[in-house]
Amino acid sequence: MDALLLRSLQGYVCDTFGVPLWQAVCRRSGLTVETFEPMLRYDPGTADRLAQVAADVLGRSVEAVWEDMGIHLVTNPRHQGVRRLLRFGGIGFTDFLHSLEELPGRARLAVADIDLPDLQLDELGPDRFEICCQSRIKGLVRVLVGILTAMADDYGSLCLIEADDQGLGRIQVQVLDRFHNTARRFDLAAPGGAG
Amino acid sequence: MSAAFAKAHVPLGVEALARFMPMHLVLDAAGQILAAGPTLLRVLDGQPVLGAQFESVFEVRSPGGAITVGDVMDRAAHRFRLTLRNRARVGLRGVGQRLPGDGRILLNLSFGIDLIAAVGEFGLTDGDFAATDLAMELLFMAEANASVTRELRGLNLRLEGARVAAEEEALTDPLTGLRNRRAADLWLERLCAAGTPFGLLNLDLDYFKQVNDSLGHPAGDFVLETVGRILRAQSRAEDCAARIGGDEFVVILPGRTDPGILASIARRIIGQLQKPIPFEGKICRISASVGIVRSVDFARPDAAELLAAADRALYGAKHAGRGRALQLGVGG
Repeated sequence: MDALLLRSLQGYVCDTFGVPLWQAVCRRSGLTVETFEPMLRYDPGTADRLAQVAADVLGRSVEAVWEDMGIHLVTNPRHQGVRRLLRFGGIGFTDFLHSLEELPGRARLAVADIDLPDLQLDELGPDRFEICCQSRIKGLVRVLVGILTAMADDYGSLCLIEADDQGLGRIQVQVLDRFHNTARRFDLAAPGGAG
Repeated sequence: MSAAFAKAHVPLGVEALARFMPMHLVLDAAGQILAAGPTLLRVLDGQPVLGAQFESVFEVRSPGGAITVGDVMDRAAHRFRLTLRNRARVGLRGVGQRLPGDGRILLNLSFGIDLIAAVGEFGLTDGDFAATDLAMELLFMAEANASVTRELRGLNLRLEGARVAAEEEALTDPLTGLRNRRAADLWLERLCAAGTPFGLLNLDLDYFKQVNDSLGHPAGDFVLETVGRILRAQSRAEDCAARIGGDEFVVILPGRTDPGILASIARRIIGQLQKPIPFEGKICRISASVGIVRSVDFARPDAAELLAAADRALYGAKHAGRGRALQLGVGG
């Protein structure tokens, strides 16, 4: 999981702030590498540590860095893969929320040893949900907040999405308007053939 | 199962049927299509199927020889395969049942593994599949697998690039940019093993120690860099010019075994090396002695043996006075 987050962080920082800033972050972290491979393994804790350095360099909170990275993961026009895979979750945003519990299982179909955190969705009331995300990676909850924010937008829903401040891994989602905007188009057939 | 359960009928409205089986087909006993599920209608693409005969819309692929829906029901109601007459590329899989009473037939169809092609061809959406259908999982998996494969291919290319760079680095002398001792040994071993004839120049700089002693190491390094440039310029792409010691070099020339040509190459290199080398306002002057051997002079050429012979030739050249090239004769 660290590898996936590190690669995503690298993509987000390079795309948004430029490669030199990313190199500065890596040097300041005392790392000998500047590129991360999503299919390799890195020491646990590397992702949280590097994100904190990036936040320091950018003068922002680490939570904001993770959230923006989550948004970038879904909205980055050069890599539609994550958005497309998530959109298979359902027709509407609430369907999508309900599909989150199945997400780790689906991901394991593609990569057997992927260690996505368990996600649990509780319906608190009409259009009110709580998602529980337990992971040893502190930033992951904020990444999920970013992903949810971007996906709500993708589905055209207006939502209030908040993570708890105590680090309990809980996210409150309130759907204010399911049909606030037109959902972005999603064709089941992959652009350019089988994948 | 108790008799009561076995006899229980489940009345299901057309809408519910469409939701449970969006690709169902209801036919009368004679095979005329009475109703079709919404997804199947979409796949049939506006064809007027209601009222049409089963066999005019579908071709039976299995059971073999079956043409009408009656044939199918008699022989393989539990599992059969069809294709559409208008779009033969997409295969359908089905199961059927004669309904009690008037003999109407209910078929339920699905795409099977042709799902991915069908989704693209007919522009289907998740609303076209029953909630219990694993279609979304199959599509998700196909796309996720493609992503993972792409990622692995990229990783392999990047690792291969890093490996080539590391190998290149391991075989290169950083100061002169020439090959190093290890590379020269590998070249010689490979040529000997392949039986390729080649010439070998063993080159030792003259007066290099004086340059180092009088003008300092930076001047010495500059001279070595210059030697590297000269040797690269004087050798062909298929040759190997290497620095194998402090001021000792070899040039391996595959296919070059003519004694006259080898001697003239050696003389040309010596001539170039004897040109004054200006460094920080001073002039460095060096020369070189060259020992020449040819693989064809050896019955069974061997890298170590050739290098030793080239070393003897070089010793002879040095002995004969600086700035000379000496070729070792047969059996030398």
